[in-house]
Amino acid sequence: MSEPAYTVVSDSETMGEEKTTSTFPEIAIGIDIGTSQCSVAVWNGSQVELLKNTRNQKMMRSYVTFKDDVPLGGVSNQLSHEHEMLSGAAIFNMKRLIGRADTDPVVHASKSLPFLVQTLDIGVRPFIGALVNNVWRSTTPEEVLAIYLLELRAMAEVALKRPIRNVVLTIPVSFSRFQVTRIERACAMAGLHVLRLMPEPTAVALLYAQQQQQTIHDNTGSGSEKIALIFNMGAGYCDVAVTATAGGVSQIKALAGSPIGGEDLLQNMMRHLLPDSEILFSNHGISEIKSMGLLRVATQDAIHKLTSQTSVQIDVDLGNGSKICKVVDQEEFQEVNKKVFEKCESLIIQCLRDAKVEPEDVADTIAVGGCSFIPMIRNLLMSICKKQDLYKGMNPLEAAVCGAALEGAVASGVNDPFGNLDLLTIQVTPLAIGIQADGNNFVPIIPRNTTMPARKELVFTTAHDNQTGALIVVYEGEEKKVEGNHLLGYFKIMGIPPAPRGVPEINVCMDIDTSNVLRVLAGVVLPGSQHHAIPVMEVRMPTVDDGHGWCAEALLRTYGSSLDLVTVQKKI
Amino acid sequence: MLGTLTIPARNPFCSSPEISRFSSVRSPPSTPTTARRFTNRRCTVSSVCASPEVDSATATATETRRSGSLYEVLRVKRTASPTEIKTAYRSLAKMYHPDAVRSDGQDFMEIHNAYATLSDPAARALYDLSLGAQFQRRPFEYSAARNRSGFYPTRRWETDQCW
Repeated sequence: MSEPAYTVVSDSETMGEEKTTSTFPEIAIGIDIGTSQCSVAVWNGSQVELLKNTRNQKMMRSYVTFKDDVPLGGVSNQLSHEHEMLSGAAIFNMKRLIGRADTDPVVHASKSLPFLVQTLDIGVRPFIGALVNNVWRSTTPEEVLAIYLLELRAMAEVALKRPIRNVVLTIPVSFSRFQVTRIERACAMAGLHVLRLMPEPTAVALLYAQQQQQTIHDNTGSGSEKIALIFNMGAGYCDVAVTATAGGVSQIKALAGSPIGGEDLLQNMMRHLLPDSEILFSNHGISEIKSMGLLRVATQDAIHKLTSQTSVQIDVDLGNGSKICKVVDQEEFQEVNKKVFEKCESLIIQCLRDAKVEPEDVADTIAVGGCSFIPMIRNLLMSICKKQDLYKGMNPLEAAVCGAALEGAVASGVNDPFGNLDLLTIQVTPLAIGIQADGNNFVPIIPRNTTMPARKELVFTTAHDNQTGALIVVYEGEEKKVEGNHLLGYFKIMGIPPAPRGVPEINVCMDIDTSNVLRVLAGVVLPGSQHHAIPVMEVRMPTVDDGHGWCAEALLRTYGSSLDLVTVQKKI
Repeated sequence: MLGTLTIPARNPFCSSPEISRFSSVRSPPSTPTTARRFTNRRCTVSSVCASPEVDSATATATETRRSGSLYEVLRVKRTASPTEIKTAYRSLAKMYHPDAVRSDGQDFMEIHNAYATLSDPAARALYDLSLGAQFQRRPFEYSAARNRSGFYPTRRWETDQCW
């Protein structure tokens, strides 16, 4: 890379461009960044239209290859063969790596990919490198994503003949707020402004809401509420949502998600076919990378074939003297991936339970994403939701991007004379947000599945006598102990008036505003007083940057329990 | 683990299992804690997640645009059916959700919290009971003053765009 392939567009610069306030609002485009494929769609004035690249493709592979001086992404680059992507020069699966520390199991699972993923296991950003002329050239997931987004942007600008600035992106449900900031950073590097980030199944829910409204033509939505379960599983993530839809309003009842997907199915199968594959591929020698690519393509092909046939013959020469010649049937595939399917099942059940919805109440079961073609997944959904069939009104690979494009039009303030954009999504928080208290417990303040915007607070108190400071450590996640959750940030309250432990009331308030910005406020009140004893702290989260994995440990080492908080035990 | 929500116990969110898990001891509605909430300066917010008691007190002290009753927030009759409540919520959401109208979302939060109570039969029954009781006693004269001394609404500064 002689010169950077991306430009950082400052806000002031583009504000000038936007001054051309035409009568038509700039319609934000919808982008679905998939782990394996990406697509772009826009509201064209009457309906959602998917944009195509110069090779007439609507779905583009998500990768960036560093073969030449200028990195090339899957939008403009033409792969001569699938193996070219697996030569080590191309970085893919960015979505699985972005914003994750090197202690994350998902990062460790990525070590057997053809490009270099190196971990030090201390909670810093993993080292990622592409093989260029026998050199591992370092890069970051944000940079790779930015290069890719820049290509998408250029493609959309050519197709729409106007500059593109605003985008609506879909993200996995299980993304932490820290990961979201990395996505936003990548967008900023590509000169894009994120208007909305939608959890993938909620984008599908919006498309469903529009379809329902078009079929019913009942604008009042007079209680004719339809409940849908949306299951979205692609290469990298599995997400579930339960939505209640009426009159174009999609009210998200619950969300559930996990970083499991087609990539896991593929890796499990590769391990099954070649048991010592991990040891072989972790060396990243030239010949090993080549064998891995051959095995990967053959396995992928077999999994695709298994969606329509009961068994498949795998015949692959790995070039290093070992040959794989095996017949794999459905049962074997299901057995090898038992844990993945069990996780899918538990996500669906959890989502229904969180939404307080019985399977009988689900009107439509919608399966989207690449893995929705797998018979096992379809059967699982039909049996849990007690349905004879799945919803047929959507293209499983295009539903999320279409929903994002609808949201883009709605959020840009576009009106449709036929009421096709008379839509609204009422979102909920995908993960609980809280602080560390009572030792290393995670105490949620905004629980999972809370309607947004939201503002909630909880009272804490000091753990020691005459404790004058307190550390507010903010986490996001579902685990009972803080270690299992994502660290979002921390700050210290100082100047608490000396008092016996348990006396000062430390109010911690969390506020998620309209733009999904999280702010944490902390104030101190002494009994008998009506006012805050010290100025209130207001901190925008997340505050952590890279290296977030070891921050918590460093805090513990420095402060021990001296600045601890405990939840208030009320005297009745 | 003991925790206490500062939102009064009658609030529907307190009855949700996620929260009550952490609050084995609920704060009775009369604890002074309720008044020290992080409230917004805007009057309408006083009824967002406030219990009816606090509500009535603030309503007398400050002029609220939509006073008191959750039914008034949703613009439905006291006898409204669950379907009517749902419909009212949706149509109000379309008018007041921040995605539909440029706002700070306080109106929508108020509407949503009213809906959350009234759409849950148990919470609604409890709320109806408290509505009957509110005319007999009027505690928390101080709550209105406290509410005003709460925190400022959050604002988005330009530096928020930076990393």
